Amino acid sequence: MPIDPSVVGRVYPAQLYEVSREKIREFAEAIGDTNPVYVDTEAAREYGHQDVVAPPTFAMIPVMDGVDILMDDLGIEFARVVHVDQRFTYAQPLRVGTRLETTTRLDGVRSVAGNDLLKILSEVRDAEGAGICVSLATLLVRPEDSGEGDA
Amino acid sequence: MLAVGEVVADHTYWITREHLVRYAGASGDFNPIHWNERVATSVGLPGVIAHGMLTMGLAARLLTDWLGDPAAVIEYGVRFARPVVVPDDDTGVAVRVAASVTEVRDDGVVALEITVRVDDQKVLTQARALCRPPAAPSAPPAS
Repeated sequence: MPIDPSVVGRVYPAQLYEVSREKIREFAEAIGDTNPVYVDTEAAREYGHQDVVAPPTFAMIPVMDGVDILMDDLGIEFARVVHVDQRFTYAQPLRVGTRLETTTRLDGVRSVAGNDLLKILSEVRDAEGAGICVSLATLLVRPEDSGEGDA
Repeated sequence: MLAVGEVVADHTYWITREHLVRYAGASGDFNPIHWNERVATSVGLPGVIAHGMLTMGLAARLLTDWLGDPAAVIEYGVRFARPVVVPDDDTGVAVRVAASVTEVRDDGVVALEITVRVDDQKVLTQARALCRPPAAPSAPPAS
């Protein structure tokens, strides 16, 4: 059954996430990124940061926390979801020790060939409310009965 | 001074099954299509595929390697056009990433188009970024 468009505009409670040194290191290693700004405070200071910062796509980790809540709310199983596109707009890098609050809003639902396309806006802010990153994602949700993909 | 059309970086990255396991752990994305052949083929995929966000992360690496400072990336977006199939061997799959300048704005912000290919096929499309490019050498101009 397609997703009822009346859910568009739903806003989900802020999800909290603290950016840790070890998680930045682990994430940078996982993408093979040896840039010292991710692990070495002095190297990060050379670029004007107080301490290490995270790689740009690290932002997906806090964003996913909110997307998970949205998918639970709409009863969508993760296995039916395909990531169609992703955009981040950064006001600041993700700094170690920052306590992030991520709010998630369902911005659109469109039915295309039996699939639902969801537009999801996530705003990542610090505990003082200063904007850090905005994420815009499109997710494709396959119908429940298909189970089979062609990707 | 950067010019429109200039290729600022070009690199080939390899993705193996080991990278997928590491990325799953680091990102928290444990979708079995990224590590389980049986599940991947049962949902119609040609095999185990890389996380789209891992491929996006590799393409971002090209930018941050060039820029030095990750904070110099102001905006970054991609479309996940084709799955990146990762074979069950020690070599993996080669992902070639290149970034070229599409616009140099008055305020110095540079718009880049990023191509991300496996063989001759684009796996990410509409891959674009806005960056503050690396500062020019601090030495005063010669003339």
